Amino acid sequence: MAVQTQDLGYQGDDNSSLFPKLSLAQAEKWLVGSHIFVAFTALLIGILLGPAQTFRRVPALKWEIPVFSYYYQALTLHGVLNALVFTTFFIMGTSMFVTQRSLNRPLKSMQMAWVSFGLMVVGLVMAGAAIIMGKATVLYTAYLPMQAHWAFYLGLVLVVVGTWVGSLNVALTYMEWKKENPGKPVPLAVYAILCNFLMWFTASLGVATEILTMSLPLSLGLIDTVDVQVSRILFWFFGHPLVYFWLIPAYLSWYAMLPMQLGVKLFSDSMARVALLMIAIFSIPIGVHHLFTDPGVSEAAKILHSLLTFVVAVPSFLTAFNIAATIERNGRKNGATGIIDWVWKQPWGDPVIVSQYLGMWLFFFGGITGIMNASFNMNVALHNTTWVVGHFHMTLAGAVFMTYVSILYWMLPAIRNRKLWLRPLATFQAYTWGIGMLMFGAFMGRAGINGAVRRSDLGAVGAYISDAVAPWLNLTAVAGFILLISSIALYTVIIGTLFVSSEEPEFEEKRKNNNKLVMAVTTESPPASETPAIFENWRLWIAVIIASNLIMWMPVLISAINLTNGFWNIGFPSAAQ
Amino acid sequence: MHIDKYERMWLIVVSVTLGIFFSALLAGAVIFGVRTPDPGGFINPLQLDQTEFANPGVRDMGNGEYEVTMVAQMWAFVPATIRVPAGSTVTFNITSRDVTHGFIIEEHNINFELVPGHIARQTLTFKEEGEFHMICHEYCGRGHHLMHGVIIVEDEASTTALGE
Repeated sequence: MAVQTQDLGYQGDDNSSLFPKLSLAQAEKWLVGSHIFVAFTALLIGILLGPAQTFRRVPALKWEIPVFSYYYQALTLHGVLNALVFTTFFIMGTSMFVTQRSLNRPLKSMQMAWVSFGLMVVGLVMAGAAIIMGKATVLYTAYLPMQAHWAFYLGLVLVVVGTWVGSLNVALTYMEWKKENPGKPVPLAVYAILCNFLMWFTASLGVATEILTMSLPLSLGLIDTVDVQVSRILFWFFGHPLVYFWLIPAYLSWYAMLPMQLGVKLFSDSMARVALLMIAIFSIPIGVHHLFTDPGVSEAAKILHSLLTFVVAVPSFLTAFNIAATIERNGRKNGATGIIDWVWKQPWGDPVIVSQYLGMWLFFFGGITGIMNASFNMNVALHNTTWVVGHFHMTLAGAVFMTYVSILYWMLPAIRNRKLWLRPLATFQAYTWGIGMLMFGAFMGRAGINGAVRRSDLGAVGAYISDAVAPWLNLTAVAGFILLISSIALYTVIIGTLFVSSEEPEFEEKRKNNNKLVMAVTTESPPASETPAIFENWRLWIAVIIASNLIMWMPVLISAINLTNGFWNIGFPSAAQ
Repeated sequence: MHIDKYERMWLIVVSVTLGIFFSALLAGAVIFGVRTPDPGGFINPLQLDQTEFANPGVRDMGNGEYEVTMVAQMWAFVPATIRVPAGSTVTFNITSRDVTHGFIIEEHNINFELVPGHIARQTLTFKEEGEFHMICHEYCGRGHHLMHGVIIVEDEASTTALGE
C-alpha cells in the first residue's frame, strides 16, 4: 500500500496515515486544480455574457452584445458554459477530491480520473468550437428539429461519457473502502456523491438515447427524420435530474462541510441521508413537469408528474430544517439564548460561510417559485416566460453557484497553498451576488407574470415588449450591473490568490477544532446503530429507480411515438445558425 | 433510526401544506377549468396542405363560438391577426410547419409548445375587449423575436370574425 501511494506522489506532513491530512498531494492538486481551472475559465466567458444579455434586453438600453453580437449565439454560450460546462467540471473535480479526502484513500485509478477529464475537455472543445463558429445556435436544450453541427452533439456525448468514467472511478473507490470497512456506514459526504452519480447515470441514459439515435445521426446525414416530441421526452427524462446533479454538491457542502467550518455537529446525519436518497429516487420520474404545455403528453401524466414533483420538494424541506437546526447550534455555541438571536451570532464576515448562507436564502425563493412552476395548471401562466428564468437564476445561479464559490474559497487556497487574496473583497462578492441575484430573480419573475417571454431577443428591432413588461425589464439592468461588479470581484480574488497572494493558508477550522488541523471534509462514519444499512443497499434503490421510471415514463414515451407513421420531422440546419 | 420530535412535526406540517397545495390545483382544474392542453392528435408537418391547416383562419361556429386553425412557421403565425367579438369562445387548433414554436396570449390562460407532428388544442373565452398579443415563446431561430401576432377582441355589435 505504501509503495502504491508513493508512486502516485502522495506525500504529506502526516505520515501516520495512508493519506496526507492537510497538505494536498501533487497528483491530487493537478487533478482537482485542472477541473476547477476549466470550470472557472468557461465560467468567465459565460458569466460576462449574463449582464451583456440583460443590457441587450432592457428597453432603455438595447445594447449590442460585444464579441458575440448575435443574441442567440451568446445565449447558447451562456447556457452551455455556465449550466453544463462549469457545473460538470466543478462537480467532477470536487467529487473526486471529497471522495479521496473523506475516505482517506486515493482514487481507485488515477488513469481513469485523467481519462474522464480528457474526454470532457475534448467534448468541451468540440461543442464550444461549433457554437463559436455559429454552427450550433440551438441553446443548451438543443431542441430538435433544429439541427446543429455534428461536432456539437458529439462533444456533448464525450462530456457525458467522461462523467461516466469519473463516476465509475468514484464508485470503485467506494467499493474498495466498503470491502475494508464492512458494516460501517460511508461518511455523509461520499453518500451524497454516490446518490448524485447514481441519479446522474440513470438520467443521462435519456439524453444519450436522444443524441445517439436522433440528433447525431441526423446531423451526420445518416437519417432524414426524427420525432420531436419523443426527443423532448427523452431530453426531460434527463433534464430535471440535471438540476439536482447541480444541487446535490451544494447540499453536500451544507451537510458535510458547513458543520465542520462552523465547528458544530450536523443536527441529523440520518435525515440528511433520507433527503439525499429521496432526491436520487424522486428527481427522475417527475420530468414531465417541463412538458406541461406539450401537445403530445396526456393530462393524466402531467398531473401525476406534478404530484411527484411535490414529493421531491420534501427532501428540500428536510434539508431546510436540518441545516437551520445546525446553524442554530452554532449560534447557541456563540452565546445566543433567545428565539432569534442565533441568526446574527454567525460569522457574517467569512466569505466561505456567507456565500453559503446567502445561497440558502436565495434557495428559499428559488424553491417556492419552483413549487409554483410544478403546479401543472398554474404553469400555464408561467411556462417559458422570464418568470422561469428568474426561478432558475435563484436556484442555479443563486444557491448552487454561491455554494460552489464557497467551496472555491477554501479549496483554491488548499490547492495553491496560498491564503485567499483580499478576503474582504470575497465577502463583498458574496453579498453583492446574493443581493443582485435576488433582484434579478424578482424583476425577471415580475416581467414574466406580465407576459415577457424568455429566450427572446427583446432588444431587437421588431420584438414585442408591452408597457406592463418594460419597467421590470429596465430594473433587471440594475441587478445585472450589481452582478457584473460581483463577477469582477470574484475573478480578482481568484487571480490574486493564484498569482499575488504570498502567505501560506491558515485553515479556519484550525481555530474551531481544538487547534487540530483538518480540512472541511469529514472522514468519520456515523455509528452504525443510528444509520440503518438499508441506506447503502444500492441493489434495492436501483430496482426502485428502474421500477418507478418504467411506471412513470413508459406510458408517456409510448403514447408520444407515432406507431402508424413513424418519424416525420425533417431537420432544420438553417434555423440553428 | 432516531428522528427528532420537532423534525417529525416539521415533516407533518410540510406534508399537509403540500397536500393542500396539490388539492388546490386539482380544484382549479376540476371546478374552475384551468387545464393543460391535451393531445390534439398527430399530423404530418410535411403535408399540412392536405389537411385542415391548408386554409388557416377563423371559422364562425355560431352561438358566439369560433374555431381558429393556425399554422406556426419560421417566423410568423398564420393568421397573424385575429378579430373576434367580446364574450366569444374560441377553440385554437395550432400546429407547426417546421421547428418547435411556442404560443402564449398575454393576459390569458393559454400556453402551448407547438411541437411539429402534433396538434395543440385548447378553448378560451375572451371576456374583455382589447388587443392582446400572441407571442412565440420557444426559440425557433434567427427571427424568433419577430414572431408575434395580435388578437383584437372588439365590441360585440360592430365586428365580424376575421383572420388575416
